[in-house]
Amino acid sequence: MTYILEAKDLRKQYPDKLALQGLNLQIEAGEVFCLLGQNGAGKSTTINLFLGFVQPTSGAAYINGLEVAKNPLEIKRHLAYIPENVMLYPHLTGLENLGLFSQLAGFAYAESELRDYLEQAGLPPEAVQRRVGTYSKGMRQKVGIAIAVAKHAKVLLLDEPTSGLDPKASNEFSELLGKLSGQGTAVFMATHDLFRAREVGTRVGIMREGELVDVRPTSFLNANELEQLYLHYTH
Amino acid sequence: MRTFWILFAAEWRHFKAAKGLVLLTSLVLLVGLYGIYYGTSEINRQRQHLAELPALARHNVDELKVKFPGEADAGEIGYYHTTFAVHHPTPWASLSLGQRDVNPYYVKLRLLGLQGQLYASENVNPTKALSGNFDLAFVLVYLFPLLIIALCFNLLSSEKEQGILTLLLAQPVSAATLVGAKLAFRLALVLGLVLVLSVVAMLWAQVPPDGRVGLWLALALVYCLFWFGVAFLITSWQRNSAFNAVALVGVWLVLVVLVPGLLNVFVSAARPVPQDLELTIKQREEIHGGWDKPKTETMNRFFALYPQFRDTATIKERFVWRWYYAFQHLGDQSVQPLTVAYTNGLRQRYDLVNRLSWLSPAVAAQTSLNALAGSDLPAHLAFLGSASRYHYALRAFYYPYLFHKVAFTHADFAKEPTHTFTSTSEPATAASGLGKLLISAGVVFGAGLLLFRARPVNPR
Repeated sequence: MTYILEAKDLRKQYPDKLALQGLNLQIEAGEVFCLLGQNGAGKSTTINLFLGFVQPTSGAAYINGLEVAKNPLEIKRHLAYIPENVMLYPHLTGLENLGLFSQLAGFAYAESELRDYLEQAGLPPEAVQRRVGTYSKGMRQKVGIAIAVAKHAKVLLLDEPTSGLDPKASNEFSELLGKLSGQGTAVFMATHDLFRAREVGTRVGIMREGELVDVRPTSFLNANELEQLYLHYTH
Repeated sequence: MRTFWILFAAEWRHFKAAKGLVLLTSLVLLVGLYGIYYGTSEINRQRQHLAELPALARHNVDELKVKFPGEADAGEIGYYHTTFAVHHPTPWASLSLGQRDVNPYYVKLRLLGLQGQLYASENVNPTKALSGNFDLAFVLVYLFPLLIIALCFNLLSSEKEQGILTLLLAQPVSAATLVGAKLAFRLALVLGLVLVLSVVAMLWAQVPPDGRVGLWLALALVYCLFWFGVAFLITSWQRNSAFNAVALVGVWLVLVVLVPGLLNVFVSAARPVPQDLELTIKQREEIHGGWDKPKTETMNRFFALYPQFRDTATIKERFVWRWYYAFQHLGDQSVQPLTVAYTNGLRQRYDLVNRLSWLSPAVAAQTSLNALAGSDLPAHLAFLGSASRYHYALRAFYYPYLFHKVAFTHADFAKEPTHTFTSTSEPATAASGLGKLLISAGVVFGAGLLLFRARPVNPR
């Protein structure tokens, strides 16, 4: 079976630290996998390896069946990424930023379509023509979400995506993730937000010191149990 | 390729938004236009001076006709009559003044000893020499690298430091395409400026539309390419913007200021040249000594050079012009070895600078542009050679009057030789400089590519 996102014995050794030790993971289409762990546990390294930003010491990461290290450009047609802190060209408007990143992803949208994506991400209509330099972190995050959604990717890589979003926007984002997974998008989300992880995730994994120590379906966990599990592994 | 053009177009939007860069680019454009104005004005000033010289010479003849209403002794005419050896500029000199502002572009000549006259007007205004020329070549060679540095110091580091690079490289965009598009946009901008300024300067200076147009553009283009190569090399190192800026300005200081300065010191030490002042003093001492030497001795030395005048009667008078001009002539002869050493030494210095110009593309570019414009040292030495030959022609014209005791009439003024000299471009020197620049640009781009491949771009 070809998984949308897969890691096989993925290992990353930095000169001073073993960041990831033999990660094995398979994520199917429509699944929302939430990766939990303390800072430095290896969550961002895992995302960087899937993005091809760093090369694995051994093992391999696959996106849609393609090995990331061997197909660095091709895999990016299948994935969208929202970092913890979305940074955009400050002198361009939200609309222009979305237009540029969509063009780079291979989509030439009309302005009305770009407006729809931004609105769908929760950006106020009056803000779309304002320079991004005037945006709050949450507004930039919404443009980042719009960029990811407009890409129609098979995989969504998220690194603390709700950071900076207010509770209402976070909730809307959760709904959006649900909608995307319903359409078959695989979501891989690194987060500290246990509540959000249990709410949107189909599975949660806990990472400690570069090792995926536990993976469970969220359907068998309530919020309290997830918290206990997290504390068990991280303290 | 589609991605490349999307990024290229985006760079235009980024550039427009960066007000400081727009201002700087506009400033360089204005400074370039001023350079064109400065160069053209200077050459026009020189042309105007040169155009006034025939009138001055005619005025001098008119004065002499009044002073000597009938037939005159050619010795008197030779002493009082002033004529000029003139060095006309090529139209290209407006674009690259070279040494035309420090070396005389005309020499006032009389029938007296030549060497003292050749260097009599070599004094320059030290304040002006300190500030130097502000022609288009100066703008291209010294200021354009600074514009390129300002445009490129944060080529990739800007996006990295702003955090945009992660989102950019999460798209199907390779770092090589991104850097390529950014470099290509800046290259197009700078080369557009070079083209606009060069074409304006060429039209203004009315240069003939021949192969030199292409050579000038190629020199300017490849020189700019070299600096883009340096920027690419530093970018490939993937350090922060502050480091890049300091490194690039450091390279500029070394290649544009330090190496040329050291090269000048080294060449002066390696190829010592007798001073023209020393030459002039020695000649003057020899000439002044001529008054006290026995006339027979002087004349015999002169007749050894001009045996055709040997039948001239022995001089018994206290003063005769032919004796006077004989010891003037011998004064020049006495410094002949020094004269040859001086001009050869200058030529050797120039050749050594040319050989070592691969150490600094700025030197290679400047010498090439000067060679193309015919405003370099060889052009000046060629003018001095031409002026010397002219002076010999004057002597050949006047000596028969003097030694055969033929009276000089008003009609004879029209028979007097005149001088004109227009420097020529040296496309071979310019082409050689272009070759050096091409190699330099190739080396820095090659090194940049190797480093870029060896250090994959990490957007974090």
